[in-house]
Amino acid sequence: MHEEWTDKLSDYLDGELSAEEHGAVAAHLRSCAACTAVLNDLKRVVARAQEAGHAVARPPQADLWAGIAARIEPARAFARTGRVAPFARRAQRRITVTLPQLAAAALVIAAVSAGVVWKIVGSLEGRREAGAASAAPSGSGQVAQDSRPVNPDGADTPARRDAAIVPVGMADAQYDAAVADLEKALKLGRGRLDASTIAIVEHNLQIIDQAIDQAREALVSDPANSYLNSHLVETRRRKLDLLRRATALTTETN
Amino acid sequence: MTLSSDTPVRAGLDNDVALAAGGDSSAFERLYRTHVGRIHSLTRRMLGSHDADEVTQDIFVRTWQKLGQFRGESAFSTWLHRLAVNVVIERRRSFAIQRGRMSDDALALDLVTVAPARTDLTVDFEHAMEQLPPGAREIFVLHDVEGYKHREIAAMLDIATGTSKRQLHRARMLMRRFLSEGPTHAAAAPAQGARE
Repeated sequence: MHEEWTDKLSDYLDGELSAEEHGAVAAHLRSCAACTAVLNDLKRVVARAQEAGHAVARPPQADLWAGIAARIEPARAFARTGRVAPFARRAQRRITVTLPQLAAAALVIAAVSAGVVWKIVGSLEGRREAGAASAAPSGSGQVAQDSRPVNPDGADTPARRDAAIVPVGMADAQYDAAVADLEKALKLGRGRLDASTIAIVEHNLQIIDQAIDQAREALVSDPANSYLNSHLVETRRRKLDLLRRATALTTETN
Repeated sequence: MTLSSDTPVRAGLDNDVALAAGGDSSAFERLYRTHVGRIHSLTRRMLGSHDADEVTQDIFVRTWQKLGQFRGESAFSTWLHRLAVNVVIERRRSFAIQRGRMSDDALALDLVTVAPARTDLTVDFEHAMEQLPPGAREIFVLHDVEGYKHREIAAMLDIATGTSKRQLHRARMLMRRFLSEGPTHAAAAPAQGARE
């Protein structure tokens, strides 16, 4: 009955109607108590919604920080608490279903990452070769300059290269301790996992380790490369994450 | 829209943003504690209580990952809120796919019920919002609670502005029934969404 009018009341209330439509609805409202009542109800709804939006926000019943901290910085959380931070509700709930997914994801990520690293390394080597070629004495006796930053010490020894890898953002000692601890726990608990799960975990750890090695090698040539640095950090985090999931699985299957 | 008027402002907040962007997780925890109530409310209203904790965690993890992209062109709270809305929308889409349900589920209008009355009207209103069908609910929350405009909502959800308006009206009519007819149920009304 009134639907042709009530359907327009929200737009009327929000000032979304054209002047002509607005006038028509206003005229109808002056003679229709039912539609006026609906409009007043809608005003109440909007007012209550706005009150809700401005009210002091209700925090979650549970403190969610521990789960967030575990996901953003597992090594630091480990160092602070002296134990592996627990996953949030979702992570615990999904452990058993995410391992196969993680396997597939790790393969894709490793492949993509390796591809990017390979391209960067290839580019660097290309530049190095070009630099070497251009650095060779030319027919005119001039020496072309390499545009790459030059190590002020002029040294390029393996030891010096390794030192350049250090600033990756995750404390190595903490990370290594966390990894070693988890690997030990996984080794102790692997008897509780079935063979196929162990194979998945080991295969993915191998892939991740390869990705870490590739990133490190690439960083030797280009230590300031931000992608490589973040890739290395992310891959190391991924390893820690996989170890934590696998270790949690050994305790879940008790 | 901006949220600066109702977002807690603390001395050193900008400093915390800068510190967190530099990798300081303690600063990030302070940001989390300042904003978690509002973000959790957003997720609870748009997705329901069941998924709110999980998605709130996802939002803050995403925030941590993207902090380096925050340029300070808007208030941090506004930037965070928009990021949160994007995460919620992504999640809604994946939920809809998982459940084999379109976001504009007209049939859901016939199924909406409102829980028995409680003495706390605010809680009742919050609960009533959670009972709205998903498509209408997210537009109601974004428009009437959070203050976004239809054109902003249409862009975020990749829908027509007219769809946003119609869904908002549906949601308001359902909420009106809850407020005016009391707490028993709001299922008697005919579905209006068949034409959408």
